[in-house]
Amino acid sequence: MRKLSAAAAPVAAAAVTAAAAALAVARRRAGRLRVDRGLAALRLAARGGARYAGSAPRLFAAAGQSRERLRHDLALQTAEDVAATLGEMKGVLMKIGQMASYVDGGLAPGVRRTLSRLQDSVPPMSAELAAQVVAAELGQPPERAFAQWDPAPIAAASIGQVHRAITLDGRAAAVKVQYPGIAEAIAADLRNVALLRGLLRVTAPSQDVDALIAELRDRVLEELDYRREADNQRLIAAYYRGHPTIHIPGIISELSTRRVVTSELAVGARFAELAGWPQKERDLAAETIYRFVFRSLYEVRAFNGDPHPGNYLFHGAGRVTFLDFGLVKHFTPAELQPLMNLARHLCINHDPQAFRASLENAGFLLPNAPLSTDTIIDHLAVFYDTIREPAALTITEQYASAVVRRFFDVRSPVAAYVRIPRSYVVLQRINLGLFAVLGQLSATANWRAVAEEIWPFVQGPPSTPMGHAEAAWRASRPAAAERLLP
Amino acid sequence: MLADPYGAATDLVARSAAAWVSGVPEDPADDGFFGPASVTWRVSTDVASPIAGLRSLLMQALHPLAMAGVDEHSGWRRDPVGRLTATSAYVSTISFGERAAAEQAAARVRRIHEHVRGVDAVTGRPYAASDPALLLWVHAALVESAIAVARLLGTPLSPEDSDRYVAEMVVAAELVGVPAALVPSSVGALERYIASVRPSLRCTPAAEESMTYMLDPPGMDVDVAGIWQDVRDGAIAALPAWAREMYGYRAADPLTPNRRTEIRQALGVMDAVFLGEPGVLEARQRLLLRMRAALRG
Repeated sequence: MRKLSAAAAPVAAAAVTAAAAALAVARRRAGRLRVDRGLAALRLAARGGARYAGSAPRLFAAAGQSRERLRHDLALQTAEDVAATLGEMKGVLMKIGQMASYVDGGLAPGVRRTLSRLQDSVPPMSAELAAQVVAAELGQPPERAFAQWDPAPIAAASIGQVHRAITLDGRAAAVKVQYPGIAEAIAADLRNVALLRGLLRVTAPSQDVDALIAELRDRVLEELDYRREADNQRLIAAYYRGHPTIHIPGIISELSTRRVVTSELAVGARFAELAGWPQKERDLAAETIYRFVFRSLYEVRAFNGDPHPGNYLFHGAGRVTFLDFGLVKHFTPAELQPLMNLARHLCINHDPQAFRASLENAGFLLPNAPLSTDTIIDHLAVFYDTIREPAALTITEQYASAVVRRFFDVRSPVAAYVRIPRSYVVLQRINLGLFAVLGQLSATANWRAVAEEIWPFVQGPPSTPMGHAEAAWRASRPAAAERLLP
Repeated sequence: MLADPYGAATDLVARSAAAWVSGVPEDPADDGFFGPASVTWRVSTDVASPIAGLRSLLMQALHPLAMAGVDEHSGWRRDPVGRLTATSAYVSTISFGERAAAEQAAARVRRIHEHVRGVDAVTGRPYAASDPALLLWVHAALVESAIAVARLLGTPLSPEDSDRYVAEMVVAAELVGVPAALVPSSVGALERYIASVRPSLRCTPAAEESMTYMLDPPGMDVDVAGIWQDVRDGAIAALPAWAREMYGYRAADPLTPNRRTEIRQALGVMDAVFLGEPGVLEARQRLLLRMRAALRG
């Protein structure tokens, strides 16, 4: 509109770009999505955990000293800054991106880029703002609540940031501080179901959107209340107390509230440093991660839905510290049973028909799909490749990629009949996140033998030195702790 | 456009984002005509500004001669993408660019306007895009829209800031050729001016056609249409009742707090998409840093 633009003020351009932006989303959905999907899955696999590698708050277009200065100058200074940065659906969009990335490879590159840039757009809180939150939550400013307080955050959390501190009784601590006002803003945004539905149809087009919304709301609302995270961490730490290789930092309860959670500070090597370690060490670390994921699932009936490299610290000899229990999914025995049935029918009984029936009963596969059972096995058994035979096997990045590709392969004949029931949405991180991690480690083990140790329906004998150490630990645990369940 | 509407729209996002970014200088020689301490910068970076833009288009189109110029010369039907992209670049440069860049962009617009003249088929009256009377309407509609939308959906301006904003924006009208003496420089003067023009406003067929296109772009995906509907509802709710009546939009219910929240959520989603384009985040950070520095004095 040439004439109208004549005296146009800043506002007009915004309408233009807004219209365009809306239409661009449409394009990403309607246009290239199908073609791009395989590509996106490949990229997801190729990038693996790389996107999590930087644990410091990320700011785009800045490096070195100027980056430090920018971090300081752009810091969120007020609750209004937080609302402008993460309110109005933006925080929720990040969560949707997180979830969509493991339920659907349909994140077209454009959508992926948008979500990643959105993360880049969140600077840390200023030291003053973080101190205000601590003061409001703990009743006194950080320099009085703690013997020492580091005003510079050491890491970004999804809705907060982590500070180092020394408690008054001398313990080194990691203090996670939530952005002020974020919980209210996200809770309000999660109530806009119509908009969420549209967003999820764009980002996760092949899934049952209403189930996803329900799961998203439950998980995110839990994540907003740090007391829940503290409960999860206490529960899991209690279970693993004394474990030979698995370490969970203890929660310091008197310094933990809804918006601040304080745990013991753990120090160790980051995931990236493992690249320089001997393969033997990497294999041991991988075995510990594997044991942690499946022991937690089958014995604590809890799954940490965020098994990514940024949440591990490594200490050598297979010892690993596990961090961040903000996204933990608890299961009922009835929800775990189908998973056990699937493994038993496919890997132990070698009964394809029963495997198929279990898939159908659990809601993973529509009943009466016009497919032969062989076809179903061909396409879904890839997820069990590591545990079908009792033999040493290396999980390569290629295998991890193949799992992801298969998972997101919309051209597969079974794709139209496969569903992920709500309870298992978070579990997809096993197929994607865990294998990506193990693949990056090129980890070798007899995974089947380790799995048999853990499977409640087998309870196999120790198969490795770590297995023996774990068996000794289990034997020594007090009976009461054995079934410390929520 | 007909062959691949989404392709054109994707192109528009990329191009208009690039245009917007290009208007935000990296190492400016001066603060331009407004500067980081201005109300104008604050208004332009508010999340509700897309709705202010849409509402100003709705207001501007009600002037039959202004609308005729657009309709007969801008080629918006043939290339709405190119048309809107050019606006994006212009606006960004005027608002955030150095003085020299803003003057250069304005001079270009004035040159183009020299060729935009004709006779309006509806009223039978001659028009010229360089006519200060038309330029002033376009300007006033825009400034008043920014204030109205900030009040309803954005961060409301205090009475003092509203007056300051109107006064700051006088220079934008001057840049395209309106003598400063003609341009309202307070909210009171702005309201009196709009009331004086009102008798000559109407919804011509061209206004109806172009605004229907803006409010309901063809080929929109159903999910995106839901988001756009929120934006559209916001713009229509912010219109004066008389303007809504001219278009024949049904009287809007007063915006409930819940509805306001929904509209702002839709704005946030669009903003996130725009943020995903190359350079947008960096440009915003440049602006924010300068605004904060100005605030510190």
